[in-house]
Amino acid sequence: MAEEDRSNTRDPLAGRIPIILITGFLGSGKTTLLGRLLRHPGMERAAVIINELGDIAIDHQLVAASAEQMTLLGNGCLCCSVRTDLQETLRELFIKRRAGAVIDFDRVFVETTGLADPVPVLHSFQSDGLLGAQYRLDGVVTVVDAVNGMGQLDTMSEAVKQAAVADRIVLSKTDIADANVVALLLERLKTLNPFVAILEAIQGEIDPASLVNLGPASAKTLPLELNRWLGTGDGEAYLGKRLVGAHDAAIQAFSLRFEQPYTWDSLNAALQTLAALRGPDLLRVKGIVNVVGESGPVILQAAQHVIHPPVTLQSWRDADRSTRIVFITRNITRESVASLFTAVGALTGH
Amino acid sequence: MANALSFNMRLLAHHELQGYGGIGEGMALQQTRDGRRILWLAHEAAPKNFTGIDVSDPRDPRVVVQTDLPHAKVRSNSLDVTGDVMAVAYQTSAVGMKPAGFDLFDIARPKQPRLISHFDASGLYSRGVHQLWFVDGEFVHMSSGAPDFQPRHPEDDQFYRIVDVRDPAKPTEAGRWWLPGTREGDAAPAPTRLDARIATGFRVHNTNVFPQRPDRAYVGYIDGGAVILDIADKSRPKLVGHWNHSPPFNGFTHTVLPLFGRDLLIVSDECVRDDGIDWPRLVWVVDGRDERNPVPISTFPAPPVEAFIKRGGRFGAHNLHENQPGPTSFRSETIIVGTFFNAGVRVYDVANPFQPQEIAYYVPEAPKLSRAGAIQLNDVYVDEKRIVYTVDRHAGGLYILEMTI
Repeated sequence: MAEEDRSNTRDPLAGRIPIILITGFLGSGKTTLLGRLLRHPGMERAAVIINELGDIAIDHQLVAASAEQMTLLGNGCLCCSVRTDLQETLRELFIKRRAGAVIDFDRVFVETTGLADPVPVLHSFQSDGLLGAQYRLDGVVTVVDAVNGMGQLDTMSEAVKQAAVADRIVLSKTDIADANVVALLLERLKTLNPFVAILEAIQGEIDPASLVNLGPASAKTLPLELNRWLGTGDGEAYLGKRLVGAHDAAIQAFSLRFEQPYTWDSLNAALQTLAALRGPDLLRVKGIVNVVGESGPVILQAAQHVIHPPVTLQSWRDADRSTRIVFITRNITRESVASLFTAVGALTGH
Repeated sequence: MANALSFNMRLLAHHELQGYGGIGEGMALQQTRDGRRILWLAHEAAPKNFTGIDVSDPRDPRVVVQTDLPHAKVRSNSLDVTGDVMAVAYQTSAVGMKPAGFDLFDIARPKQPRLISHFDASGLYSRGVHQLWFVDGEFVHMSSGAPDFQPRHPEDDQFYRIVDVRDPAKPTEAGRWWLPGTREGDAAPAPTRLDARIATGFRVHNTNVFPQRPDRAYVGYIDGGAVILDIADKSRPKLVGHWNHSPPFNGFTHTVLPLFGRDLLIVSDECVRDDGIDWPRLVWVVDGRDERNPVPISTFPAPPVEAFIKRGGRFGAHNLHENQPGPTSFRSETIIVGTFFNAGVRVYDVANPFQPQEIAYYVPEAPKLSRAGAIQLNDVYVDEKRIVYTVDRHAGGLYILEMTI
């Protein structure tokens, strides 16, 4: 009966348009990647938001007209530039879509500027209730240039953050980079962000399927997909803290696992405490949580001090009902987060 | 469907119904004894009466039967199915004509519907039946004229009638109710008519009765608003609650859909004029905690007016999926699906009744040969698998969609 009731209500995730954030340093090949991606079949209803339409390098042949700030690409995709800010552009896009003024796009790629710190962008998605009603963040794709990537990671803190918060890393220009450099870079990226799949793209060529459906897309999401999203493998491997190289010592990436279910009160207390004390240093948090009384795992996402409204999936579909949360932080250790969660759990008796 | 607009809905199939793609507001899904699923559709106008279409595979609908009306001045418009019995309404274009009433058919063999009986509602002042509701196999609730009913105003000819069909061979009237003042000889004064440019009359449209409350009828009374009747004694329906937004709004209350678990009523208007003349026609969320005093608390966010109002044909609310009882119907207390003529079929989430959200829509491109120049989605039925069946009023026929919400 409960199952039937749920199916007669709205799926909290499935009805929202996915946004894929594409970050990467200047010259890393974001635009080349996007340009190639959009040529694939199945991408003809994508919308792309870039920063400057004038600079559009999404393959000039694809651009039908560039007088407007919003333009249709030759393959049917919609391309527009950020006007005042990204949130407003996304809202405007949805309003125009509803009025039939633009194509009924089914996903949005947002290309950030090379220097952009992606964390405030993630933060803004999660703090905007109007956007949240129509869109959901599908994930972050970070393009890293195999030739220059190591140097950028050494000198630019934004580059480190871009790699750290990614759901996918695409390594570009591996065909012209020294093999040893590529190997070192790969090792460094894996250390920096142990929970992410690293793919290679030469001249932007990549399987489009690997860059979409990054996050949970429906309340019926299967455990395999959840584990892929968290990057914690098939659920058996326990990753814990990885050794982080001296270069990126400030960035910490770790996952925590708790066997005992949380109550809403205890989960809320732990997250609010963490966000209040160290919000600016929480680059990204994502996880699935076992909350007492909920029918399935609760999807948790946060960036800085903003915690996304949690979404309960329809049911647990495998035996592993533990809470698993991935943290990407700046100067917050695994031990301190683990002890905070344990202490709050003990105080609230979860 | 390159020019369709869609959000969280996907077209599975489109069927033009053999060139007779103008469908009224009668849709019912029969589960046959041999496991097929037959969607029955009442045509909007002559020459066709009804079409049965096998939608067992919603991606591959196939017409099973399509029947003709006896002449061009009658329309069926409405039908309903319980088990293997189908009731089909007949409304004539002028009073005093026949057939005006309804037929009962045995549709155990969908290919060959067999007439069981005819209920005659014709008369000097009657055009017959505009709409009927038949979901329990026992009673037909309908908007109908009658030979003994003389309205004060010719537009007020159809009132609420209950017909006992427990013996389907001999349908007999069980009860009736009309808005006091609309019948010649009533003690009550005649109701004040709306502005002549938009007035359409004080008569009944939808007449919904649900198994959760067999003692209540929820009646859309067109310019008379929404009416809740106590029908515990079917021979003497009694007024319980009445809400009318007009004036200042533009009348034509069409459907009153109760959400029993939430003490809410979803009330739809019908747009009946082209090019926005009677705009706005809306869907209302009404607090029904005290049925003696229904209070409106919100309206569904209307489709963007500037995008649709001059697109051609009608633009505004009309039919809702009515949470029909029975094995093949979707029932939800939070997801409401409705048709909005040229703004297509739209899906709303009323989980927060003060702030309904639009969560899906599909607007087909203009059907070939449509005289409106735009789609005119007229009615909708949602099955228990969340497949959405919706029909065009003039030419487009049947559109089968799935929701991804």
